[in-house]
Order: sequence, then structure tokens, then C-alpha cells
Amino acid sequence: MSALELIDIRKRYGAIETLRGIDLSLASGEFLVLLGSSGCGKSTLLNIIAGLAEATEGDVRIGDRSVTGVHPKDRDIAMVFQSYALYPNMSVARNIGFGLEMRKVAAAERADAVHKTAKMLQIENLLERKPSELSGGQRQRVAIGRALVRDPQIFLFDEPLSNLDAKLRMEMRTELKRLHLMLGTTIVYVTHDQIEAMTLATRIAVMRDGQIEQLATPDEIYNRPATRYVASFVGSPPMNMLEATVAEGIAHIDGSLSGFALPADIREKAGQVRDVIIGIRPESLSLAPAGDAALGIDAMVEVVELTGPELVVTSTIGSQRLTASLPPKSTVTAGMAQRFAIDAGALHIFDKATGKRL
Amino acid sequence: MTSNWITTRAWLLMLPLLIVMIAIIGWPLVDTVRLSFTDAKLVGTAGSFVGLDNYVKMLSGSNFQRTLVTTTLFAVLSVAAEMVIGVLAALLLNQQFYGRSVLRALMILPWALPTVVNATLWRLIYNPEYGALNAALTQIGLLDTYRSWLGEPGTALTALIVADCWKNFPLVALIALAALQAVPRDITAASMVDGAGAWARFRFVIMPYLAGPLMVALVLRTIEAFKVFDLIWVMTRGGPANSTRTLSILVYQEAFSFQRAGSGASLALIVTLLITILAVAYAALIRKSAGAS
Repeated sequence: MSALELIDIRKRYGAIETLRGIDLSLASGEFLVLLGSSGCGKSTLLNIIAGLAEATEGDVRIGDRSVTGVHPKDRDIAMVFQSYALYPNMSVARNIGFGLEMRKVAAAERADAVHKTAKMLQIENLLERKPSELSGGQRQRVAIGRALVRDPQIFLFDEPLSNLDAKLRMEMRTELKRLHLMLGTTIVYVTHDQIEAMTLATRIAVMRDGQIEQLATPDEIYNRPATRYVASFVGSPPMNMLEATVAEGIAHIDGSLSGFALPADIREKAGQVRDVIIGIRPESLSLAPAGDAALGIDAMVEVVELTGPELVVTSTIGSQRLTASLPPKSTVTAGMAQRFAIDAGALHIFDKATGKRL
Repeated sequence: MTSNWITTRAWLLMLPLLIVMIAIIGWPLVDTVRLSFTDAKLVGTAGSFVGLDNYVKMLSGSNFQRTLVTTTLFAVLSVAAEMVIGVLAALLLNQQFYGRSVLRALMILPWALPTVVNATLWRLIYNPEYGALNAALTQIGLLDTYRSWLGEPGTALTALIVADCWKNFPLVALIALAALQAVPRDITAASMVDGAGAWARFRFVIMPYLAGPLMVALVLRTIEAFKVFDLIWVMTRGGPANSTRTLSILVYQEAFSFQRAGSGASLALIVTLLITILAVAYAALIRKSAGAS
């Protein structure tokens, strides 16, 4: 049985279609991250799942029950908002217990549940305070507590960490992961932060222009991106995208004098002659001696930046840029020609016209 | 720049206003206090000192007590109705629907009209011979014969309260609407997910945002209703049989109709004191609720 099923969800505002046919099915206990830049429709989709917005077409099924037209309160979901959305006039305890209060759970039972949840989130000492007396991180915990206490079928998170500072964000990320492992809950989580997506998700749906570009595990999203968009969205520094022409199995990067032979499996798919984009992750590049016979590219080093754990080298091939992440001790000099070796398995070839992976 | 100079400059800048206020409010007030201790008439004698006689006479008189009851009744009922209708109107106008902004603008109209226009309009509606209310009620069969709504002691005050409500509920609605728009969308969404129905959402989630602004509206409207004059003067002049006579009308009658400046002044000061007590009590309430949130 799937915990959540979306069937051809479409949303139109007048002539503008913000969701263009979303289909997905989520097993119980999965942590799905909807990843995309702002305006891709991920928050709209979350609101449709929550019942806060109505889809123009399509059906939402929660636990094998169609919830189209069902009020949010009757969908057996809980939601954590970006702004936390705590009730400012209520104490932390009442905020957490409000959902139970509205569902007419007896006071004693409610207090019990609130305490249990507060303990789990380590906010027992804050129960009597008002939200205005809490820090951002504490508010976030209360907002999560409010969702947890109800024990719903699905948890929805709308960019819950984006109002926190970097350090706290990392802490809460780990905390969320711990909670998910501990409770085994089903989660749909919206973010534009690829690190959050990679670390938290069991599956990621990368969204673009109201459609799912790729739905896969973090590993697959990173290592086998289905499109050029997915490839460039995930990873930091982003994947190098080099325009190239393939002829007779030899790839010529535009602006480069030499070409290199494509691995056999790709050569077959590339066919005779076509324009392609060659994607190479910065970390799959390494230094090679000049004239090295193995798979590699010659480039002119422009800028060398030491970030701490790595050395980021930006070079040019004609008018194209190539970024490499190297071990910090590597010896590279700006202004010099340099050959970079490429791990053949780490080549991503995309059709230039369609952006699809070959 | 020293803080001394800043203080001096502030006083200097306020000086013109202070002079005007002393001239048109301060001095008349002092003179009214003086008058209230005399038996002066409006014209003729300057009057002689009579001590607290005027106050004793006014406070113990049955006119004052009856009028105080009428005024309180008018203020409490009309303000209560305005608050309820105003909040309901604001909740409606806060919904998404086609033509909302036009309706919002239209709603302000009754409040924007001068009271005299409003009063004249309602006098026409209540007219015993060709009034719209009589016509409407007889046509739908609720009434057999035309009635004189403002001419019968049993209905006159109610008719006035309705007119006052119509004029003043937009102010409450406007204040409530502004407060409603300050309620974060996420908070209402969160309460929906939490399972709060419409009433619980209003009571527990929206009301806390409305309470402060509504308190201000309540203060403003109560004080205004308590000293109401023009609406009643145009519509009934305090009649019939003094059934709609409020304190301000009584003050006017005493000082100008009966030309008793001394006792009129004492009555005016009593009314001022009552309103001041109201204002101070409300100010304390507002401070308390502001401190609580």
C-alpha cells in the first residue's frame, strides 16, 4: 500500500499552468524531497497534498483514500511551515497540543503526549513559554513537535530550515534525519537546498516548470542525472557543462584542439554526428602530466582558490569554463596550461537539443 | 546639541498649538467650571455664587437619572451591535471573491457621510406617511398599517440605534479588516491542518490578532456614543416624551432651551467627568492587553 499517491496533478491560474501533470507514489516510511528553484511549483504541490490549495485536475490519495475535496483537518497530515506558524498567543505546550485539543483528546492524555514529544525534541523546559520568547531554532522544534504529536500518516515540511542560520540548519538537518530514522514516518519535504535534499531524502523529485524532471534516490540523482538541468542543480561546485561535437565516437570539446574517444557504451548511443553537452563533476577531475595518454582535457588555469578542504581550480578551454575540485595540497599555478585526467565512468553526456542524458 | 536645547526646542515648536488649545478649550473649560457654581442665566444677569447647589439639583433630579439610563442603553446597544456587525463584515470582506475591492470601498460610504445627512436619510426611511421601512414591511406583509417609528416612545430609541449602527459599523469593519490582513496566512493554514473548524479558528487563532485593534474601536465608539448629539437632534430632538433624550441633549436643553447657563454648565461637567472615567478605564484596559501580548 502506498502512503501517498499523486495522479496527474495539474494546477492552472488562468492561462498559467504551474503544475503540469505530476505523478508519483510514495511508500510508507519514505522521505521524499521536492527539490527545485523558486517558482517550480514545489510549494504549490505541497499545499495541494495538504489540502490548502485545490488541484485543477488530478487526484491525491493518502493511504489509498482519495482526499480530493477533503478538508486539511480530515486528511490525516501534519505540516511544518517555513515561518513556523506558531500561535503567538499560546504557550509552547498549548501550541504543540492544539491539534489534539481540536480533535477533542482528553486533557490528561493530551498533556502526556505533549510531554513525550517535548522530551523527544528536548524542549521540555520551554513548555510554559510563549513563542516570542524562543529563539529561531527553538521555534522550529516547537513547530516540528506540533506535527509529531499528532502521529499523522504523512508529514509535510515546507522549507522548514530556510529561516535558520547555517550552523543551526546543519544541526536541525541531523535532528530531522534522526527523527525520521527513529519514528519511520512518511515525509514530503520541500526545499531548494540541494544539500538538504541529498542528506535527508530516501528519494528526490527534482522539479522544474511544474514538472518532475527526475524522481530517484539521492545517489542516482547525483551519479546518473537524467537531464542536464538535474545535473547542474545538484552538486557544489556545479557540474561542468562543456559543449562538444561527437563524430565517429570521438568527442571534440568546442575550443579544444584535441578530442577524446568516448567509452564504448556512450559511443553507441551518440551515433554518428551530433552536438552534445559533456558533463563532468569538478571532483572527478584530477591532475595529469602534460601529454598523458589517458582520458583527459587540456585547459588554461585562470584562478586557484583554496576553500580549506579542497582546492578549486577554474580553467578555460577556449571560451568555455572548467572547474576542478582537487586535494588541497595539489600544485597548480594560475596562468599555466594544465592537463586534467577524467575518470571515464564519471562522464555524463547529454543531448544538446533535448538536454536528456544519452 | 544638549538635551536641554532639544527639550526647549520641542516646547517652542508646540507653543502655537498650546496657545490655540488654551484659547479654545482651556479657557472655556475654566469658565464653565466657574459658571457651574453660579445661578447665571444665558442672557441677562451674570449670576451669583451658589456653591454646589447646581450639582446637587442636577444629580438628584429624575431627569438626569432617566437620561443617564437612556444614554447608557443607547451606547451599549449600538456599540455592541456595531462591533458584531463590523467584525462579521470584515470577515466577509477578507474572503477572496470577485468585486471585493468595490464592495470594500462601498462599505465605507455610510461612515464617510456627514451625520446630518445620515440622520435626514433615516428620517425619510422612518417617515410615517411615505417612509421606505413602512412600505417595505407592509408589502411583505409584516405590518398592517403604517407606523410612526420615531413618533412612538416604544420604537424611537431602537430606530435611532439602527441608524447609528448603519453609520458606524464601517469604522469597526475597517479596523477589523486591517487587523485581519495582518494575520499570517501560514498561521491560518496551520490551524486548518491542526483541525480547527471555522469557529475554533476565529476564537483561538484570529481573535488574538483582532483583540487589540477592536479594543481601540470599542473605546472610540463608546465615548462617541455616550456623547451622541447630532444624530438624535436631527431625528427626534430627544422625543417623543423624552424617550430618546441623552445626556448631551439634556445639557443643550438646560443651557440653551431653558437658558439656565449655571446648571447647564454643571451638567456638562458631570458628563465630561463620566466620559473621562470611561476613557481612563479603557486606556488602562488597552495598556493591560498590550502588556499581555
